[in-house]
Amino acid sequence: MQAATRREQKVVTRDRLVNAAMALFARKGIVNTTTADVARSIRMSHGVVFLHFPRRDDLVIAVIDEFGRRLAAEFRQAFEHDLGLRAVLQAHLRVLAEIEPFYARLVTEAPMLPPKVRSTLMLLHAAVSYELFTALERERKAGRARKIPRPLLFNTWIGLVHHYLVNRDVFATGDSVIAEQGETLVNHFMSLVKP
Amino acid sequence: MAEKCPACGSCGMPLEKPEDFALGDATRPYCRYCTDARGQLLSYEQVLETNARFYIESQGVTAAAANELARAMLADMPAWRGRN
Repeated sequence: MQAATRREQKVVTRDRLVNAAMALFARKGIVNTTTADVARSIRMSHGVVFLHFPRRDDLVIAVIDEFGRRLAAEFRQAFEHDLGLRAVLQAHLRVLAEIEPFYARLVTEAPMLPPKVRSTLMLLHAAVSYELFTALERERKAGRARKIPRPLLFNTWIGLVHHYLVNRDVFATGDSVIAEQGETLVNHFMSLVKP
Repeated sequence: MAEKCPACGSCGMPLEKPEDFALGDATRPYCRYCTDARGQLLSYEQVLETNARFYIESQGVTAAAANELARAMLADMPAWRGRN
């Protein structure tokens, strides 16, 4: 019983650290945020951070993994209900909107991040690419889409989304460029894949 | 935030369903892609190649970049930790 409580406490602390890191990365940037900054922001000792994340990169990867978990849950739903390409694009944007300030930092700083962090992000891109291509192929078999090579399908979508995210200050009047422009991007992309 | 599901000790793939594990056996430490028909772990070179191909097929990165990305991904995995 006590062991279970300790385990639960450990999960709660880890979650607090991941959430605090995500908020700080969004505000200060990933490269510019130290583990000491994260600990300070939630009044935790620096040692606790190291207990959960022995290296700074481990914490960054844990934040990206959290994004990955949300993405997997959204995609599972779209896939199970066979909702088509539009629903997959919308599911992707829904998750990005939840973590938009962090994600915009992540893609802006991606070329400067350590190899393991960058490869983790690109692994998530691979998962998105798989979902998009699977949905496109279904649409194509139903005569609603044309054939597009998988890397170009993904790179066209992600290039569009990332451009708006990286330059969100000039594409949105409020806090979220996904909220303001997301539907336009989905509609445009759907028009590009038409047969 | 849910507790993490187990991940393959070779490539880090999340192991969510029994069929994700080697031989469909949820007690195995590795995924079905990193193991052979007998459930044995493939060689580092084979796993590296499979992972590199994943980056190429999904995003069209160069073979050299894919190799580096896969190498970075495998570096800390329990099965390959300590390799140079």
